[in-house]
Amino acid sequence: MILAENVCYTYRNGNNVLKNISFEIKKGEFIAIIGSNGSGKTTLLKHFNGLLKPTGGKMLVNGMDTRKTKTSRLAKYVGFLFQNPDHQIFCSTVYDEIAFGLKNISTRREDIRQRVKKAAEKLGLESLLDSNPLTLSKGQRQRVAFASILALETDIIVLDEPTKGQDYIESIKIMDTVRELNEQGKTIIMVTHDMELAALYAKRIIVLRNGTIHLDGRTESVMASPEILASSGLKPPQIYMLSYMFRKYGLFWNVHTVEDMFRQLLAHLEGSKNVSIG
Amino acid sequence: MIEIHDLTFTYSGSGSPALENINLRVAGGEFVGISGPAGAGKTTLALCINGVIPHFMDGSFHGTVIVDGYDTASAGCKELACSVGSVFQDPESQIVFSTVEEEIAFGLENLNIPRKEMVSRIDESLKMVGISHLKRCSTSHLSGGQKQRVAIASAIALKPKVLILDEPTSELDPQGSMEVFKTLENLNSNHNITVVVIEQKIQLLSEFCQRLVIMDKGKIMMDGPVKSILSNREVLNFLGIDSFPVAKLMHLIRDKGLYDGEFPVNIDEAFDIISYILKPKILH
Amino acid sequence: MSAFVEYIPGNSIFHRLNPITKILWTFSVMIVCFLTENPLAVLSVFIVNLVIAATGNIIRQMYPILRGLLVFCTILSLCQVFFIKEGTVVLYALPWFRLGPVTDRGIRLCVLISLRMLSTASTVPILLMTTPMSDIITAMTEKLRLPYKYSLMLTIALKFIPSFIDEMNQVMQAQMSRGYNSDTKNPFRKFLIIIPLAIPLLITSIQKSRLLAISMEVRGFGSGKRSCYKDCSMGNADYIAIIIMASFVLAGIAAALIT
Repeated sequence: MILAENVCYTYRNGNNVLKNISFEIKKGEFIAIIGSNGSGKTTLLKHFNGLLKPTGGKMLVNGMDTRKTKTSRLAKYVGFLFQNPDHQIFCSTVYDEIAFGLKNISTRREDIRQRVKKAAEKLGLESLLDSNPLTLSKGQRQRVAFASILALETDIIVLDEPTKGQDYIESIKIMDTVRELNEQGKTIIMVTHDMELAALYAKRIIVLRNGTIHLDGRTESVMASPEILASSGLKPPQIYMLSYMFRKYGLFWNVHTVEDMFRQLLAHLEGSKNVSIG
Repeated sequence: MIEIHDLTFTYSGSGSPALENINLRVAGGEFVGISGPAGAGKTTLALCINGVIPHFMDGSFHGTVIVDGYDTASAGCKELACSVGSVFQDPESQIVFSTVEEEIAFGLENLNIPRKEMVSRIDESLKMVGISHLKRCSTSHLSGGQKQRVAIASAIALKPKVLILDEPTSELDPQGSMEVFKTLENLNSNHNITVVVIEQKIQLLSEFCQRLVIMDKGKIMMDGPVKSILSNREVLNFLGIDSFPVAKLMHLIRDKGLYDGEFPVNIDEAFDIISYILKPKILH
Repeated sequence: MSAFVEYIPGNSIFHRLNPITKILWTFSVMIVCFLTENPLAVLSVFIVNLVIAATGNIIRQMYPILRGLLVFCTILSLCQVFFIKEGTVVLYALPWFRLGPVTDRGIRLCVLISLRMLSTASTVPILLMTTPMSDIITAMTEKLRLPYKYSLMLTIALKFIPSFIDEMNQVMQAQMSRGYNSDTKNPFRKFLIIIPLAIPLLITSIQKSRLLAISMEVRGFGSGKRSCYKDCSMGNADYIAIIIMASFVLAGIAAALIT
């Protein structure tokens, strides 16, 4: 679905942000890209819909070379949710805002109505379609922005820190929707700083460090490598960290969730007596 | 240090109050975290404590807010600026000047502090937040965490007794967030500044605050020591149990009756508790 | 942002002069250059400018500006030289047809105008490259009694230009990601397509300025008399420089009166 071959990106001021990035993303994957600030996450993300074109190597999206394809054309295949919904909201009703992208890719009028409704429903905005986006809360505005991306019904959805600055309830609403979309077969790529959310939702994790891929693998195996994460300036999720601390005592191997840990704790208490703690 | 009695505030043009019957006392030297969902009235409360409400925003204001002995409704702009320092969400738009020293000087200039004293106060506040090396730097080239520390330095240059921060880490990455909270911890414990911080990130709140105030729909829902607030499962669900897995695990352990001591606020404490639970079994 | 004339930190004599002295310098260069008719005198003013730039270590940054000015002056001279008929003809643009006569006075005048342009136009970038904008503004408030509110407005405007440009890029990219296409030849549509960019930009700017206002108020802005952190008193070097400039200006005036 997406293929990056030795992608390099250098800003005009000579700042070399991406160095030889290669990977393949298959249909239906759920990927979190993590890394400290300045590691190139957002720059990489903007390559998926051609907002930035690689200065070296190439990026293929659905077989199209992004260097030769306009972003407005790629919009039919890649939906891109920006960090700040206020950077895109300009219509006087939620309905028009969600329909904006559809009009741009010249959708039939009947289809527009249907797709707007469907996207709004998915994000719990049905009752707000006639409201002015400016009167809504920050969390609702983020969902309006998300709905306007969803309405495009793209196979790939790219999210740049979708839960930044949102409270817990809003974050979960957004992430649950993302998971649902993934279960319906959409490919999800998101950048996040929230390691707990990444561990909870993503299936594959790509760790960026100084513009190179530091680690790329299944969530369970990436998160269970605290030293490598630490060398990228990241802190693993609490449960992974806790199980890591017990590892030298031979306890809590293969722990990925709170439930895993609790189950093993109970098992230790009931059964084995040859556990030793210093 | 902060005393709020029966505070109700409604923004002009709004039908329902943003804050309703708030009563809150914060003693000198406390480190208090305020949390709760969006729209709970946290920002409005912050604006009432630093006097922006009722001085610069319209609305109906009932009740009293007393900070450092001043009634915010009647105190002058100058007294308020010297008793409460404020830091906001967006590090970008609260910084006015292009160099760090000018930014910190701004508040001092406004209060007509003589130049000589200004120089020493700037150096002192830079030192307190640990960014002396950035004194002559351009503010636009700083990281998010550094920008927030500049904002903190320019607030404490006015020597306030209270520092109120409205989601200072919402635009920052984990490292920047940690930087800000470590700075606050230092100001609180070594310089006796009372810190009130509005924050969503529950891991930071539990690690650094002594007391938590939970707000919802314009009211204070709960107020108490961090450990007792976290041991309340309902509150935890409300604040984000999935953002704080250690607490979730602890609740499972408590439900099983395996432990009923103090609630852990970080991984190290959780490690100790689990080790403690496992030990007698192993010794047996 | 490299196209902008930016402050380049340094510690040369010229860097350390008071901004007011430097502003006076740009004015005196202008006066002297327009009073004298002698190309050699104007040339020497230009050479002094170059020396100042060299001691201030900004020659490299001045180079593109000087090159641009030179190109501009050459074009201007080529256009003008044919219109001056006085004086003896030295050469023709098209010698075979004796068309396009160029006179000695024409050449002299064009050289003079070009040199004037080079000398006066190079002072402003030198001023801006050796003086932080905030110092210029402070000096104007302190010495020229510009009200603080105006100078603060200027400071804020200058500080927010880069972040505004950044914001505009973000908005542009966000709309492009939703299939927005800004290429159109129709002038009416060209006007309409600004709306998806302008409104988000306006709204985020209003949000930012609101926060900025609050952040200034809580630091006691507008609470009465202010003091000033920046020291903008004149030093000995300033007085010496002003005396030198004044004598040149007076000499220029005297020379102009005599001839």
